[in-house]
Amino acid sequence: MASTVLLMIYVIQESVVSQLRLPGGGFSILLIFALTWAVLSETEVAAVIGFAAGFLMDLSQTAAGPFGQWTLIMLLAGYAISYIGFGDDNVQANAIGIIFFVVIANFLVEVAYLATAALLGVSLGSFVQILITLVGMSIWTLLISPLMLPAFTRLHAMIFDSRSAL
Amino acid sequence: MRNGGRARLLLVTLIVTSLFLITLDLRGVKVIDGFKQATQTVMSPFQRAGSAVLTPVKNFLSDVTHLGRTRNQIEKLEAENAKLKSELINRKNADAQLEQLKDILDLAGTAGYKIVNAKVISQGSSQSFSQTVTIDIGSNAGVKKNMTVLSQNGIAGVVKDVYPNSALIQLASDPSFRIGARIAGTQQIGILTGRGTQSASLQLLDNSTNVKEGDILLSRGSIANRPFVPGVPLGYVTSVDNSAGAIAQTATIRYYTSFSSLGVVAIVLSASGSNPGDALVPVKPRVTPIPTVTVFVTPSPTPTK
Repeated sequence: MASTVLLMIYVIQESVVSQLRLPGGGFSILLIFALTWAVLSETEVAAVIGFAAGFLMDLSQTAAGPFGQWTLIMLLAGYAISYIGFGDDNVQANAIGIIFFVVIANFLVEVAYLATAALLGVSLGSFVQILITLVGMSIWTLLISPLMLPAFTRLHAMIFDSRSAL
Repeated sequence: MRNGGRARLLLVTLIVTSLFLITLDLRGVKVIDGFKQATQTVMSPFQRAGSAVLTPVKNFLSDVTHLGRTRNQIEKLEAENAKLKSELINRKNADAQLEQLKDILDLAGTAGYKIVNAKVISQGSSQSFSQTVTIDIGSNAGVKKNMTVLSQNGIAGVVKDVYPNSALIQLASDPSFRIGARIAGTQQIGILTGRGTQSASLQLLDNSTNVKEGDILLSRGSIANRPFVPGVPLGYVTSVDNSAGAIAQTATIRYYTSFSSLGVVAIVLSASGSNPGDALVPVKPRVTPIPTVTVFVTPSPTPTK
């Protein structure tokens, strides 16, 4: 069931969200979804969700780096987010807390991607453009997350039978 | 503890798998490309459908966000369009003037006239019922009073007043314009007078002159070619007045020159020593015969029932 939801989100990302030419780079609904579920899940589940989401992001035609880069980053990000936030009601029981956690995690994931890309020899463009994209994506994530949060948490509750719906 | 160990094992496994995938890709293993191509093949119908649904929304949002820029672009394109239209009209005018110029040069070249070309820059005022135009060259270009002015088809007028960079031309249609005329092919002469229109009056000096409709008139020329050089086409006879008892024969002439569409004219600075005679008479257009087919029908000896 979780994999079906993940695949649906991936299809929406590739066929709808990627069509929008938003200023500042736009947002990734798959990334927001994976990070949101990582906050709400245990570390093992979050790691698997991160792995699966990263794998799908690597399969996307827009992925620039070597295959497996997003898989590794999302796996580690999912585990780390869950390790920090799971069980902490200041994060999980608070919608604003989740949103800010997701936004910050989004930013750090992008920075991690840049760092690994530099190590792996992937060219990413000028510093100014990278900065604009980072800030733009963070702002878009901040705008979109509140809209998506109720749906994502309900899906999580439905699938994992938890009381984390907000 | 056991759960913590299991979690760590899972994490390590997933990390190793990720690193394995990165290594495979960096080594150029084709299986990874196959994964990507297969995914793209599956995703492309969804992407096409998404594009079809979202394109109108995207266009609307783009128009809204770029409203100012779109409006500026529209204004810029409208201005460019107007400029191009204006250039096209000017180009057409220039082409028409070029045609006139070519014909004038042909005319002057055949007769051996030395000319200077000029553009008509304004039409004269009709308040005083005179027919004049102003040209864009004057004494600085060698133009003097009482010089012949030619159009592409023949006589246009005479220089009436000269200024340093412009000149006033009295048109042949002016009621006070007079020119000595000769009927082409003969030595019959008369005086041509303007009427203020495209037509003029010809008064022949000899009452026994045989003038007919269609006869072509040429300028007779003046002493020292001033104001008129000889041999310039004037017009053709449209009607003849053969009133009995009239002292002099008169005829109505239609000018070759179209005075309402003068764009480029030429001022004859000097003529060659010899009279061009009838060399400048316009050539009549040749009628191309239309081929016809004649059908002969031979009646049969026996009638059909």
